[in-house]
Amino acid sequence: MNTALATASPQSAIGPRSIAGRIGLLPALLVLLVASMSAVDPQFYGINNVLNILRNASLLAIVACGQALVIIAGGFDLSVGAVVALASVVTAKTMAATAAAFPGNTPLIIAGGVAAGLGCGAVVGLLNGFCVAKLKVSGFVVTLGTMSATAGVGLMITNGIPVYGMPEIFVKGFGRAQALGLPTAVHVALVVIALMVFVQRRTLFGRYVYAIGGNVDAAVVSGVSIQRHIVGTYVVSSVLAALTGILLTAQVGSGQASFGGDRMMLQSIAAAVIGGVSLRGGVGRIEIVAISALFLTILGNALNLLHVDSRLQPVFLGVIMVAAVALDELSRRSKARV
Amino acid sequence: MSDLELSVAAKDTDRPKLAPGRWIWSAVLPVALVLLLLGFAAVDRGVLSPANLLNIAQQTSYLALFAMAQTVVILTRGFDLALGPTVSMVSVGTALAMAGATASGHDIGVVLLAGLGAGFALGIACGLFNGVVIALLGVNPFVATLGSYNIAIGIATTLSSGRPVQGVPASFSQIFYSGSVFGVPAAIVITVAVGVVLHLMLSRTVFGRSIYLIGTNPRAAAVAGLPARRILVATYVLCSGLAALGAIMMTARTGSGEPNLGGALSLQAIAGAVVGGTSLAGGRGGVGTAVLGALFITILSNGMNLTRIDGYVQMIVLGAIVIIGVLLDRLRLEQRQ
Amino acid sequence: MDFEIDPMPAEPLLRLRGISKRFTGVRALDRVDLDVRAGELHVLFGENGAGKSTLINVVSGTFPPDEGTFHFGGEEIHHLTPQRARAIGISPVFQEFSLIPSLTVEENLFLGREVTQGGILRTGEMRTRAKALIDELGFDIDPSQRVDDLSRAHQQMAEIAKALLGRVRLLILDEPTASLTERETGRLFELIARLKSQNVGLIYVSHRMREIRTLADRVTVLRDGRHIRTLDAARSTDSELVELMTGRKIDVLFPTIAHKPDRVMVDVENLTLADGSVQDVNFHARAGEITGIAGLVGCGKSELIRAIYGIEPTTAGVIRIDGAPYEFPAPRRSLKRGIAYFPANRIAEGLALSRPIRENASMTVLDLPAFARFGVLRQAAERTTIAGIMEQLQLRPPNIERSVGTLSGGNRQKVMLGRALTRELTVFLFDEPSVGIDVGAKLEVYQFMKRLVEAGAAVIVVSSELPEVLALSNRLYVMHHGRIAAELTGAEKTEQNVLSSFFRDHLTAEVG
Repeated sequence: MNTALATASPQSAIGPRSIAGRIGLLPALLVLLVASMSAVDPQFYGINNVLNILRNASLLAIVACGQALVIIAGGFDLSVGAVVALASVVTAKTMAATAAAFPGNTPLIIAGGVAAGLGCGAVVGLLNGFCVAKLKVSGFVVTLGTMSATAGVGLMITNGIPVYGMPEIFVKGFGRAQALGLPTAVHVALVVIALMVFVQRRTLFGRYVYAIGGNVDAAVVSGVSIQRHIVGTYVVSSVLAALTGILLTAQVGSGQASFGGDRMMLQSIAAAVIGGVSLRGGVGRIEIVAISALFLTILGNALNLLHVDSRLQPVFLGVIMVAAVALDELSRRSKARV
Repeated sequence: MSDLELSVAAKDTDRPKLAPGRWIWSAVLPVALVLLLLGFAAVDRGVLSPANLLNIAQQTSYLALFAMAQTVVILTRGFDLALGPTVSMVSVGTALAMAGATASGHDIGVVLLAGLGAGFALGIACGLFNGVVIALLGVNPFVATLGSYNIAIGIATTLSSGRPVQGVPASFSQIFYSGSVFGVPAAIVITVAVGVVLHLMLSRTVFGRSIYLIGTNPRAAAVAGLPARRILVATYVLCSGLAALGAIMMTARTGSGEPNLGGALSLQAIAGAVVGGTSLAGGRGGVGTAVLGALFITILSNGMNLTRIDGYVQMIVLGAIVIIGVLLDRLRLEQRQ
Repeated sequence: MDFEIDPMPAEPLLRLRGISKRFTGVRALDRVDLDVRAGELHVLFGENGAGKSTLINVVSGTFPPDEGTFHFGGEEIHHLTPQRARAIGISPVFQEFSLIPSLTVEENLFLGREVTQGGILRTGEMRTRAKALIDELGFDIDPSQRVDDLSRAHQQMAEIAKALLGRVRLLILDEPTASLTERETGRLFELIARLKSQNVGLIYVSHRMREIRTLADRVTVLRDGRHIRTLDAARSTDSELVELMTGRKIDVLFPTIAHKPDRVMVDVENLTLADGSVQDVNFHARAGEITGIAGLVGCGKSELIRAIYGIEPTTAGVIRIDGAPYEFPAPRRSLKRGIAYFPANRIAEGLALSRPIRENASMTVLDLPAFARFGVLRQAAERTTIAGIMEQLQLRPPNIERSVGTLSGGNRQKVMLGRALTRELTVFLFDEPSVGIDVGAKLEVYQFMKRLVEAGAAVIVVSSELPEVLALSNRLYVMHHGRIAAELTGAEKTEQNVLSSFFRDHLTAEVG
């Protein structure tokens, strides 16, 4: 027993260090950023700015959670931005149409709109999952295709014009409302994150997503059904993107095909990657991804407050993203040599 | 008994039997192209008019150039998502350099050189960044080029303040856009020349051979002593260099430096390469597949424009085409095995 | 213990009849029969490529046989899948671990068989059961540790524990002791005895005579995908087994090589690798002789020559080639110095399968002016040279434009060998040269080495096939746990001596 423990010890020394590397860096950066910004600009911790940050971070975090799940299973979802737009448009259109058919029946109108929005997310997710899992087309290309197609459908429905006609209460009583001093989007995001953390840690689905991304062959040999779970990740990702679309719609008060888009897609991937989700699959935790979404949002906000040209901001995002993955890659190499 | 089975087994692996299947697969796209043209022509005679055919050829030449650039990196199992922003950045940089040189009173030769120099320098810098991050730091090409995508967009919009950059000399457009050789527009001439050179490079040089070997089996290529990292860096530089050339041609067309010029080009270029039959698994494809794919996409959108199919519907069709293209590629692969 | 046992059935637990399996032109199994009784340990014995691993993959449901019948526990089984195999009590322990590196040991143990309630994991219960099982087995692994933080030996233990979770009626062990220490091996043997007493049937794949002697009830010898004979372990001798395995007297198979040891071409001093697989090794190889390196899987013998070629990082030591120090080895530099390496895994590290034979054979010479000038390929010269070489190697059919993927294992190895003839080379490193190729092709590979050595080259052969290294080499190193355990020459070069140096730190070998 002692001999075995002794041989294991050099490895176990790696464990804590890599864990610190995985989790510790991002919160530390976040604290540093918040502290220095608070020192530099009092506007930063003004209530309006904080609420603004939280609202935007929530929307990004919801999409990033789904994206992270897909990447952990070894895939990619480029279509999330387009799904945000489509869900927004479909929700608004459905509400307007239901309101015309059943005037005054507010619960039905809202339920119909939200169901339609989430439903179209589920459909895109199923399509993505089907093409990846059954037809075995690379996830990158499939979602590239559905991204174009989904965006096209969204624009076709609206002709690029914002869709109005949603019930007042959906916008004022939900989208722009606050509960316990926080915007509703924050509550929704917290629920989603908690749910996703639970799914990841405590459910069969979460466990199998890790297994499939970690080593597909071993998962097959161990009797894990692969296709079902891959489809599942794409459906979750699309439905969460649709949820963000609905939240945005409620907040802005109109359905717009310009919501989401490439920017949301890129940011969600950036949040996942900076949050320690490995593109090799099998590694990544939702809560860190959520923190990373918050970090990215605060960074953007800080750059605005510091009057850094908003046009220059993508440069920071790009550099941080590449640096995060390069660091991960270098630490992997040094680990492999031990 | 066993002899009989052996002969059966030999038949299974017989090459000539597979060959017709392979021919059918590689004929799918050209046949689809002809059918597409005929189909559109049935709706609108104008599609087949010489003027429109020349127009298609000219439009194709830009996309073909970008698809070739993308193909070079896809052959090594890579990607260049930053191609579009690189185009924007080069366009802005070229225009700014020429405007600056004009303003400081240099003669036109110097102005043109400054523009070309700035454009290619920016493109090559972008390619070097991608190549170094991917080949030396080992970052996944998707993330690396997504990073440079953001960086290039940031630089392009900052340099231009988000507005078109004026001051591109007329002679620049005259050379790279309205110029022609024996009546063939400059864009077509340049693309054909680049295509021929690139094809020779891929098929006749050590560099080209190495690209295919690395894309087919990177590990084996490294064990066989090919300088895999150096070659990988070079492919990204080549890709961005070609993108810069395309950006210069497009800047000549618009007559100004456009920070949004690249827009959807990254994805269109990937779509062109993939639809033409370049394999995302690396090692298969070439100038032919890139040109074929670009031609297909251009004809499709040209035809849909002429037959007044909604631009939004066109996006849906393009998305479907990309997926079907890759699906066909996979089926083709299975057929081979 | 965590598994229940069925009462002893009347007929054998597992009964295979006429099982055949073919992979793209290669016949991996040819009408093989196999019986395994409950409570019996049945050893599968054979050379690499004899069909052992294909057979255990068929038994565990990884791929279906092309023909033949499969009875388990008296029932005929059709369409076996890995899930179904586990459900009916067939548990394989593969050499290629079926573990997910990013998950913990306990998560891996239950993978595919998680204890859940409405899709929600009952982690507490699983943790208790995992702990109980690991304690029961006497393994020193922490169930909450991630698998990629474990050593190979501990991963092996996790793999065995995973196979024993749940109801087991037939346990399949594929060289389970390859990476275990003596102490851990002892534990495993106790465990095996306990399983036998509980009427579990075992299929055990091993090359090691000592283990076969200690454990086996019956031995089935496979050769070239065929069932050769099943014998009672107690009533068979080692030489009988080896002869059945190789199917011929050793000197008939291997060519007689005239070794003329000349100057030292490769000299390695105190070499240690970054991953610790080779430690403090001193070693040399001379021109004009074949230097063999024998050892068990994972003993560091492949890593040693890979380090010389420059594809494994070293941390300490000196490599000298023809007397001159060789610092920072890398494949390109090695080739320039006249060192060639022939990898064991030709698909992963050797060949670009979808490219033609010509391009694969010339892959290592693109830097030479004979093949390219100013970066431009000389395709006509390339075609002529490669065609000539392939004719010399008797590649059939001789079309060098075929893609390598269409070739058999033997012909693929010929394409690799072809590289040896494309440029001036003096040192040849062969890593498991006869893995995955048929007997005829093996002979040609041996003849090829003979020609190289007799022309004055230094040839180093690393092999897990003992008869091969014994017969080919003039001097033979034996490696064990990353160190040189013995250097044997002349009359000392016997199977017995090699085996005894594997197990020097164990008991005396029970061979012969």
